Amino acid sequence: MELKIRKSGESYIIDVNGEMDLYNSYRLKELVMKMLEKKVGRFVVNLEQVDYIDSSGIGALIYICSTIKKANLHLYITNIHGSVKKVIELTKLMSYFPISPTIEEALAKLEV
Amino acid sequence: MPNANLVDGFLGIHVDDNSPLFNRAGLLYKDFPSDYRQIRYFTLLIVQKAPLEIKEINLLEQQISEIIKNAVRHGNRSMPEKMVKVWYGFSAEQAHLIVEDEGSGFQDLGKWNEFNRRRQAALEGQDREALSALVSYRGPTADENDGGNALFAALEYWNGGFVFTGRKNCVGMLRRFPRRRHLAR
Repeated sequence: MELKIRKSGESYIIDVNGEMDLYNSYRLKELVMKMLEKKVGRFVVNLEQVDYIDSSGIGALIYICSTIKKANLHLYITNIHGSVKKVIELTKLMSYFPISPTIEEALAKLEV
Repeated sequence: MPNANLVDGFLGIHVDDNSPLFNRAGLLYKDFPSDYRQIRYFTLLIVQKAPLEIKEINLLEQQISEIIKNAVRHGNRSMPEKMVKVWYGFSAEQAHLIVEDEGSGFQDLGKWNEFNRRRQAALEGQDREALSALVSYRGPTADENDGGNALFAALEYWNGGFVFTGRKNCVGMLRRFPRRRHLAR
């Protein structure tokens, strides 16, 4: 799994590339925690290039979602598709996660 | 297609030594040491026997990997000398697996069912505040890499049943795949 960060206005987009599984999902949590230490307040986690996620990956998304929510900061998860979407649906967390279909829509909501 | 794990309006994990899900006749068999690093590799050795007609093979692989991970991590505590035994059979219509570890069993099963019952009530009542405390189940052997959500998905996915033996160290599961329209005629 590869993580890349880019900035758009006041928001930071994390592009996740690869599989979010039991061996590497902790890295997304660590990255978000480092960004929180640097006072980043608006996040987009882009899952366009993720074709596989397991319960550890879902757990990482739950962790960053609840941490950002508790800090009264802002997050959108974008471009979920295929088996990633199916796994989130199986866990019944589609309404729990702040999901936006595209990065553009997420940025528009964050920049309001 | 009704979900076999649904009882009294709630999905739950059941215990039944006499479940037909524990019938090993005609199933293939593999066993593995409890090596956490190789869980996905072991899973692929099993899934490679699945026929091409099965759609969403990624999802099947992911769901099997979760059960093997539970056996390795929570059952056998990642002790390589302890084995995970898997019986499995696939067709275009269904996937049937039995996974057994050498641990002391899923002793938290009752607590987990109660937790899941509250979780389902929060979901049905769209109670977001209550749900936020119920998104993950943290058992006594959980660590920070455990998602705490695998079994919620398992009860949805293994729609033909997800049943433990009385010792609770062996689970049988069945996924019934929807029939393709042209095959159903």
